[in-house]
Amino acid sequence: MISCEGLTKFYGNHQAIADVDLHVGEGEIVGFLGPNAAGKTTTMRILTSYIPPSAGRAEVAGHDVVTESLDSRRSIGYLPETSTLYRDMRVTQYLRFCAGLRGMGRAETNERLDYVLDICGLQERPDDIIGTLSLGFRQRVGLAQALLHDPPVLILDEPTVGLDPNQIIEVRDLIKSLAGDYTVMLSTHILPEAQMTCERVIIINHGRIIAEDTPQNLTAQIRQAETISITLSDARDDNVERRLLDLSDVVAVRPAGPGTYHVDTAVGSDVRAQVAQFVVERGWGLLELRPVEMTLEDVFRQLTTEEEGVE
Amino acid sequence: MRNVLTIAGKELRSYFVSPMAYVILAFYLGICGLVFALSVSAPQAEADMAGMFHTMVFIALIITPVITMGLLSQEQATGSMELLMTNPVRDAEVVMGKYLGAMGLFVIVLIGTLEFPIMMSRYGEPDWNAILAGYIGVLLAGMAFMAIGLLASSITASQIAAAVIGYVILLFLWLIGWLAYAAGEQVGNVAQHVSILENFQDFAMGIIDSRPIIFFLSLTFFALFVAVRTIENRRTI
Ligand SMILES: Nc1ncnc2c1ncn2[C@@H]1O[C@H](COP(=O)(O)OP(=O)(O)OP(=O)(O)O)[C@@H](O)[C@H]1O
Ligand SMILES: [Mg+2]
Repeated sequence: MISCEGLTKFYGNHQAIADVDLHVGEGEIVGFLGPNAAGKTTTMRILTSYIPPSAGRAEVAGHDVVTESLDSRRSIGYLPETSTLYRDMRVTQYLRFCAGLRGMGRAETNERLDYVLDICGLQERPDDIIGTLSLGFRQRVGLAQALLHDPPVLILDEPTVGLDPNQIIEVRDLIKSLAGDYTVMLSTHILPEAQMTCERVIIINHGRIIAEDTPQNLTAQIRQAETISITLSDARDDNVERRLLDLSDVVAVRPAGPGTYHVDTAVGSDVRAQVAQFVVERGWGLLELRPVEMTLEDVFRQLTTEEEGVE
Repeated sequence: MRNVLTIAGKELRSYFVSPMAYVILAFYLGICGLVFALSVSAPQAEADMAGMFHTMVFIALIITPVITMGLLSQEQATGSMELLMTNPVRDAEVVMGKYLGAMGLFVIVLIGTLEFPIMMSRYGEPDWNAILAGYIGVLLAGMAFMAIGLLASSITASQIAAAVIGYVILLFLWLIGWLAYAAGEQVGNVAQHVSILENFQDFAMGIIDSRPIIFFLSLTFFALFVAVRTIENRRTI
């Protein structure tokens, strides 16, 4: 449903994206992951025909985004990065305006309006002036307009930014529920978010796609070890590191701050119970024990250093 | 066409949501009312609106950049352009929609001024044909003004800059007639043809001639065309 080949964009002399190839199949939910300035928004703006590419081509729902942009735009629901809506309009008034631009009839508009207001948690404030809404509610209106015309393709640029924790969960569930019927491409900085909602993630850094796989494979591939962090109040014993290393499955122990150690274990093994018991027996005063989540930064560090190693 | 009307309706509504429409109406009708009162109370007042139409067209020039400055500039400044332009609408439809929205407000203002000839007909015998010609002139001039104002708004994301550019272009086209006298015969003739004031003269005197009609219509068309191209080019940056 979405495909690009050799997509490149220059802003003046600055190359924002370089030779991006990507394919999203019908009904697929794909996460588009990357740090700040990676080129996520730029790619999405090209896909939605807001800006043209400097080179390469892209198709959405079988229509070229440059030469047949009216058709491709018709099949996309787009949530821009900053949903800048008309502040002087009321919520339903704005949604009706969008429906008008998308050629929706009156009956269809009314029906979809009820649905999107409900699903985006806006049913209590349909007549609020958009400018007076909080950031999270404006984001909901942005989401509502993206879903309004029931488009086969959804392009969502950081859809959960600005939402409260409950709403984040609702939006993620909503996106997951779209699987199969809709093709969704969503961008995010948050690795766990991509893991939770997407069947496949595409990682972009410095304008280039550096990895593409299911979240599970990707983390397995990158992650040579699982890491847990423990904090001890009473580690008089100088040999904490060595003694922990003696435990089976523990691969490495690194000090990480006063009384804190990072314990690396083989992939797939969970040594938390074992470590906890060991520490308690020793009387080291266990203050904290938690798994260390792999952050997006770790992923990038690993992916980029791996690449450099190859070259 | 539906997209054009959707956008026009939205723009027209937003003029009336903000104080803009009321300020414009009050200002326009206030000044025109003052000039009308002075002209009818003159010792040898006639039921003649020629002077009135000159006022109307000049005040139209003054209000134009205020009406049009936000139309495209604001969309670019706030970023709402992105959501607008990723809808299945043509760039030309967006420009035409915005233009019709502004023209809608201007026509409402003109309808408000109908009180003056109506009042005049109570006390005298105005020449309705001349009045019709005058109104056609004001409307045509207003069409060109709004197109130029919209063009200015397409060039920059700053509303203030859009207003200033609008005034500079409009006042230049207005004053070029006076410059013409100073420049002497040859240049003067050419300059007079592109002067708003010169082209409006006939209408104010109740004459409908094809040359000024063509002048205002081509000015309108040209300005709208450039505005569409500016928006198209903005995407390619
Ligand atoms: N209109 C523009 N003019 C010039 N440079 C731009 C423009 N838009 C983006 N860039 C540059 O292109 C690069 C990619 O930007 P982009 O907005 O696509 O990143 P992103 O992945 O969406 O980042 P973020 O996660 O911060 O939203 C950045 O270096 C940015 O500075
Ligand atoms: Mg972005």
